[in-house]
Amino acid sequence: MLEIKDMATEAGDFSLDGINLSVDAGKCHAVLGPSGSGKSTLLNAVLGVLPITAGCVWLDGEDISRWPIERRNLGYVPQHLGLFPHLSVRDNLLYSVRARKIPRIDWQTLFEKMVEVTGIGHLLERRIATLSGGERQRVALVRALMGNSRLVLLDEPFTALNESLRQELWWLVKELQRERELTVLLITHDLTEAYFLADNITVLIDGQQEQSSDTVSVYHSPATIAVADFLGIKNLFSATIVSLTANHIEVDCPVLGHRIRLSGNAPVGARIRIGILPDNVALRDALHPPRLGEILLTGRVRLIPMKSHVDIRFENSDCTLVVHISASERLVKRFMLVDNQVGVTIGLPKTALFWIPDE
Amino acid sequence: MSLKRASITAALAVLTLYALLIVSLGWFLDGTILSDTLFSERTLFAVQLSLAAATVATSLAILLAVPAAYGLSRYDFRGKAAAETVLEFPIIVSPAALGAIILIFFNNPLGEWVQNHVMQFVFTFAGIVLAQFVTILGLSVRMLKAAFDEVPVELETVARTLGATPRHVFFTVTLPQAKNGMVAALILTWAKALGEFGATMMVAGTMAMRTETIPVAIFMRLSSADIEGTVAMILVLVFIGLAALYTARRVLERKSHA
Repeated sequence: MLEIKDMATEAGDFSLDGINLSVDAGKCHAVLGPSGSGKSTLLNAVLGVLPITAGCVWLDGEDISRWPIERRNLGYVPQHLGLFPHLSVRDNLLYSVRARKIPRIDWQTLFEKMVEVTGIGHLLERRIATLSGGERQRVALVRALMGNSRLVLLDEPFTALNESLRQELWWLVKELQRERELTVLLITHDLTEAYFLADNITVLIDGQQEQSSDTVSVYHSPATIAVADFLGIKNLFSATIVSLTANHIEVDCPVLGHRIRLSGNAPVGARIRIGILPDNVALRDALHPPRLGEILLTGRVRLIPMKSHVDIRFENSDCTLVVHISASERLVKRFMLVDNQVGVTIGLPKTALFWIPDE
Repeated sequence: MSLKRASITAALAVLTLYALLIVSLGWFLDGTILSDTLFSERTLFAVQLSLAAATVATSLAILLAVPAAYGLSRYDFRGKAAAETVLEFPIIVSPAALGAIILIFFNNPLGEWVQNHVMQFVFTFAGIVLAQFVTILGLSVRMLKAAFDEVPVELETVARTLGATPRHVFFTVTLPQAKNGMVAALILTWAKALGEFGATMMVAGTMAMRTETIPVAIFMRLSSADIEGTVAMILVLVFIGLAALYTARRVLERKSHA
């Protein structure tokens, strides 16, 4: 569907280089990164607002790199929605079919269906200024879809909304995606949004494409320290590779106090970081003995209740770990019993570990 | 004195100064002379000439200023900084100097060729229009650029993704969005053209019933010590000017509430 190959572009002093990503038809691909990482620059290059200085962008088997914006047939919902304030909701929605001079018979059914699915039928004669935030989002989404676009680009359109409204609109996008078999390129800095909506994620940091893979892999195996940092994984510990077997490495990690065997390949002697996912830890005691292969650490735990989870800070003389546990889990109650106590043992399963080459 | 009180006092002082100047005209106001002057053939000619010249000059200026302002607002190009600096030219150079520059131009070979083969400008209606056009062009480009700057580029980008060509986007999104700012710019530049004197006098001269615009009429009547007639012409100019400014203000207020 969408394929970006070795693409480079420039926006003032900022440049993006060597961008490669592909989005299959009907899938949602999130471009994730902090502010100033180049997400919008990438989107503007795909849109055709910024010229591509190297590489190319393919859409449905056609190289659209040099095509003018209006010929690309992309649906676009920018951060501030870009609704035309001088037009009614209806005129906003029908802007594309009028601009393209599409006969009514070809859009009437789609229009009625989209209006019904998104529940904006009662807003059609209203001016944009009279709409609420959620209503505007719906209008902007439907308008982007009215041109029968092959690909929809969403540039952080839900950022300004409150949590419940955002989630409602995420479901709406999911519903529209299913209904229309939409292909979506989502620009966001919000991890939750990306995980909710996307099948695949590309992480951009400081103009560098750090990682592109499925959502699960990005979280469980961040490719670089920058990605792990961005994902909020603070539990990273230095280690050295001491031996190598087929598809496995053995590393020496003084902090974790173990020689650890992990899957992967890297030369002996290479420095790496071992990461521990923040939501995968067990409390070990007489009633809950360690499992085979688990890494055991003993120290002091402190609990900090958050909105939907509990932060657990584990400290011993060698390391500090921060883990999150959903507030609804029974484990939280067991941790509460040992809050602020020393000599508490925690178990880290191998599945909670990943490694990154040290940069 | 608090900052608030000091600033309000300053604002009222400005109002008082101008009000005092206008009210002081009343000292020389004579009802009969005022009526005779206002409805004299010469005054009506001056009003008609001023309105016609200002309208033609403003229309021509807007025709050139709209695309120029849009270009300066939306695109980066070589010479843009120089073009923007030149827009200040009519502001820093006095209208009399601008008029002199035009007059000198028509005395060089190219200017003489234009006069002989295209159109006579010196001492003609066309000269008045040209003098006003040159004086207001920079101002109208600046004001229209400000109006276009206020239209978010994002709206134009969205419109293009919806299949509209740049021309279609300009007419269906940019112009409607910039409309109020453009109307205000049009009114203000028209008022500026109406009151233009220095350049007009240099290019078109001061010939009664030929090149006598309202400001020229004021100058001519004052030169001949016709104070009451001068006051009458000033009141005509002030009335038209204030009406234009009031209209522009209302348009801008509507824009800020939109």
